[in-house]
Amino acid sequence: MSKSSILTWALAVVGLSLTAPRLASAAGTTLNGSGSTLSKPYQEVAIEEFKKAHKELTINYGGGGSGKGRQDLADMVVDFAGSDSPYKEADMAKIKGGEVLYFPILLGPITVSYNVSGVDKLNLSPETIAKIFQRDIKKWNDKAIAAENAGAKLPDEDIVVAHRADGSGTTQNFTEYLNGAAKGVWKLKSGSTVEWPSDTQAGQGNGGVAQIVKSTKGAIGYVDLSDAKASGLKFASVKNQAGKFVEPTTAAASAAGDGIEVKPNLLFSALNAKGDRSYPITCQTWVIAYAKQTDKAKADALKAYLKFLVKDGQKLLSEIDYAPLPKSLEDKAMKQLEKIQVK
Amino acid sequence: MQALDLRGNKAYLDRAFRWSAAGAAALVLLILGLIAVTITGRSLPVFHEMGLKFFTTTRWSPPDALFGALPFIWGTAFTALIALLIAVPISLGMALFMTQVAPPPIRRPMVYLIDLLAGVPSVVFGLWGVLVLSQHFGLGRSFLTAGIILAIMIIPIITSLSREVIETTPPGDKEGALALGCTRWEMIGAAVIPHSAGGLVGAVMLGLGRAMGETIAAALVIGSALGQLTLHALSPGNSMPAVIANEWGEADTLHKSALIALAVTLFVITIVVNLIATAIVQRSMRRAQGL
Amino acid sequence: MELAQETEAAAAPPDLTAKQSWRSVKSAVMTSLMIGSVVAIAAPLIAVLWAVLTRGASVAFHQFPDFFVKDIPNIARRAGGGMGPAILGTLMVTGAATCIAVPLGVMGAVYLHEYGGKNHFSRLVRFMSTVMSGVPSIVMGLFIYIVWTLHFGYSAFGGALALACLMLPVVIGATEQMLRLVPNHLREASYALGTSKSRTISTVVLPAALPGIVSGSLLAVARAAGETAPLLFAVGAANEYNPHLFEEANTALSIQIFGNATSSFAAAQDRAWGAALTLVLVTFLATLAARVFTARIARKR
Repeated sequence: MSKSSILTWALAVVGLSLTAPRLASAAGTTLNGSGSTLSKPYQEVAIEEFKKAHKELTINYGGGGSGKGRQDLADMVVDFAGSDSPYKEADMAKIKGGEVLYFPILLGPITVSYNVSGVDKLNLSPETIAKIFQRDIKKWNDKAIAAENAGAKLPDEDIVVAHRADGSGTTQNFTEYLNGAAKGVWKLKSGSTVEWPSDTQAGQGNGGVAQIVKSTKGAIGYVDLSDAKASGLKFASVKNQAGKFVEPTTAAASAAGDGIEVKPNLLFSALNAKGDRSYPITCQTWVIAYAKQTDKAKADALKAYLKFLVKDGQKLLSEIDYAPLPKSLEDKAMKQLEKIQVK
Repeated sequence: MQALDLRGNKAYLDRAFRWSAAGAAALVLLILGLIAVTITGRSLPVFHEMGLKFFTTTRWSPPDALFGALPFIWGTAFTALIALLIAVPISLGMALFMTQVAPPPIRRPMVYLIDLLAGVPSVVFGLWGVLVLSQHFGLGRSFLTAGIILAIMIIPIITSLSREVIETTPPGDKEGALALGCTRWEMIGAAVIPHSAGGLVGAVMLGLGRAMGETIAAALVIGSALGQLTLHALSPGNSMPAVIANEWGEADTLHKSALIALAVTLFVITIVVNLIATAIVQRSMRRAQGL
Repeated sequence: MELAQETEAAAAPPDLTAKQSWRSVKSAVMTSLMIGSVVAIAAPLIAVLWAVLTRGASVAFHQFPDFFVKDIPNIARRAGGGMGPAILGTLMVTGAATCIAVPLGVMGAVYLHEYGGKNHFSRLVRFMSTVMSGVPSIVMGLFIYIVWTLHFGYSAFGGALALACLMLPVVIGATEQMLRLVPNHLREASYALGTSKSRTISTVVLPAALPGIVSGSLLAVARAAGETAPLLFAVGAANEYNPHLFEEANTALSIQIFGNATSSFAAAQDRAWGAALTLVLVTFLATLAARVFTARIARKR
């Protein structure tokens, strides 16, 4: 191979990468988002559906975690962020682009999935869940579990606790739920990463935790409904504020949505919601965007996409095991869209 | 013989060529230096917060702003140790086989075998580890599984280097031993090993350095458990690179600084191991060539 | 007394051909252990390649060339789709990294061998180069994140920078080895004709060393193509084709494998195996090409 042919080859590679026509849409606008992996399945179906009517737009949603999304948006590296929780007070100063708006887009039930043969229905109260996950209760036939499950044949087996290895908004919401509903019992506090006891197992992503629960006898873990159903896991019915044991279904998550208090900036918590039929471990996630936009084309694309997420796309949610927003919240979010202005 | 001295333009171009080449060489030092400076700089916040207790605390609790690297340092060392325990006998056995036992027509396929093993990307080993290996033999995701995967990955480098070192054994020593009536194994023990010992140690240390730095394959199979300062190899554990890769996405500023501090620790440890190993191997090779 | 002993000894001559049995058994045991190491290496290699082939081939070659060309499905749970963007991403990132690392590495090695020789600077650079090849790839990824991604965002180029840093020491080492093998009489003949040093190097020495340089670079490329950790911090995550080197996030085969390995959806796991097969084929091709070049040098000699 002569020097000149190597050179030509190298130039061809470089040239190809710099000048190749865009295989995606032509001279259109691109919107980039990153953040919450909880909302990633919805973003995926929404983008696909949305593009059918807007072929000239390219929308990329990179996931990577709520923390990453908030950071990327604060640094103005993305156009919108998906986040399961709002910016912390301390981080507000680092937001470069001015006022941020929170648009809720879905409600998602987090299941407490388990793998115990012979037990098809399991009732758990928040206190029991807290004690299991912090390893105060170590065996399946413990008195506390038996008390909530009269008639169930609980085996004398060790409980294997599975949690997230990576930082996650799901962990944040799950631990926040236990903080509130099992106050005084739950010791590990809340955060995207918490200090789990050392004799537990960790998996990457909801999928990783689901894998552990599926393949380990006696395992229990918190997994979002979507991944739990995909892995064929059994989930527990959790006791809500009204004292009823409720299964994690999209209907129960919607019921939780009816019982929430929404702040003017559309922040709220669906965890431990009131109502007989509410599933108590229902979490919420927002898409965050700047109120002040500089590029008209991008602003129009952003508003159109947000509108789709909040309103027309909601019907896609139940197919992927998420719950739509209650109508009142949807209306408030639509109204907030008007605050996005091009300056 | 030197090139003739030049005048005028040609001299200028010649000098420019020399300086660009020197600049390219200096890049190595520049990049290494930049790495050291930038990551140390970004890790300072957590050291402000925790001081040197960062290295001795066993708890890792981001909500409490409490970061202790000890279990992860232990995990990195422990999995590397398991990897060495498995890889070294196999690599040495393979190197000795290739140089002392195998007849010449078998040697080339053996080289290809090692090349093939070295050519499989680490992420593919990780994929296989998490979806296949950890499901069998009761291994699960643990220090041991990570150690096995790491062993498979460092075998090629230890084998190749050992082979190079062993091949410098003077044939006279080997033939002398055989002439005195040694069996093949005794000859190896009498002539090959004493001569190569230093170089072999160096090769093993380079393998150690590589094992400690491996991120992705380890992250997938190590189990990501906290606080595991244990010798129980079948329990899930954690290592510095695995923690960094896992927790980076959701980390806030102080947490990120703690993760970067882990990277600094890893950097320093692997650099030191590599420095020592390189020095040993170079010295052994130079001695073998009679320099 | 002595005479009696000597006669006794002479009466029963020792059998010099029979080795003491435990020694030869020990040697045989050790030899079989050494053969055992070959098995110990071949076994996991065959197991991994078997898994990649059986699980990946059905996905990758289903309705060829779909897998290699189609977009990554936005919805992870859906079967079908392909790894087209990831293949392009891997090629772009690795290609750009090669274009950066090989010229710089070759020039660096040229200095070390042709100009520097044994001076302190060269010895330091050589030493540090070997040390640099041991820097964990995740440290390199964090370094590029701090120095590049934070300022310029995610792009294929950031990933290329990270991989170039990993490739540089390998290229320098391989090139220097090759330069050492170029016989000095070639250089001397060139000087005798009045050629300047720089021209000698570029027109005589480098072409002579070229096959070896290509071989070493291909090995570096093969290693770089499989790297994951540095790309996670520099390239980002995109699902659509992005042929632009400097703009916007991109993806690569290694990133996709890592991401899909822990998915609960069988379709995503299948794509991971298909991507693994593709990546393994790419690296094997590069390694094979490297060996062909090495054989060419051996033949020339």
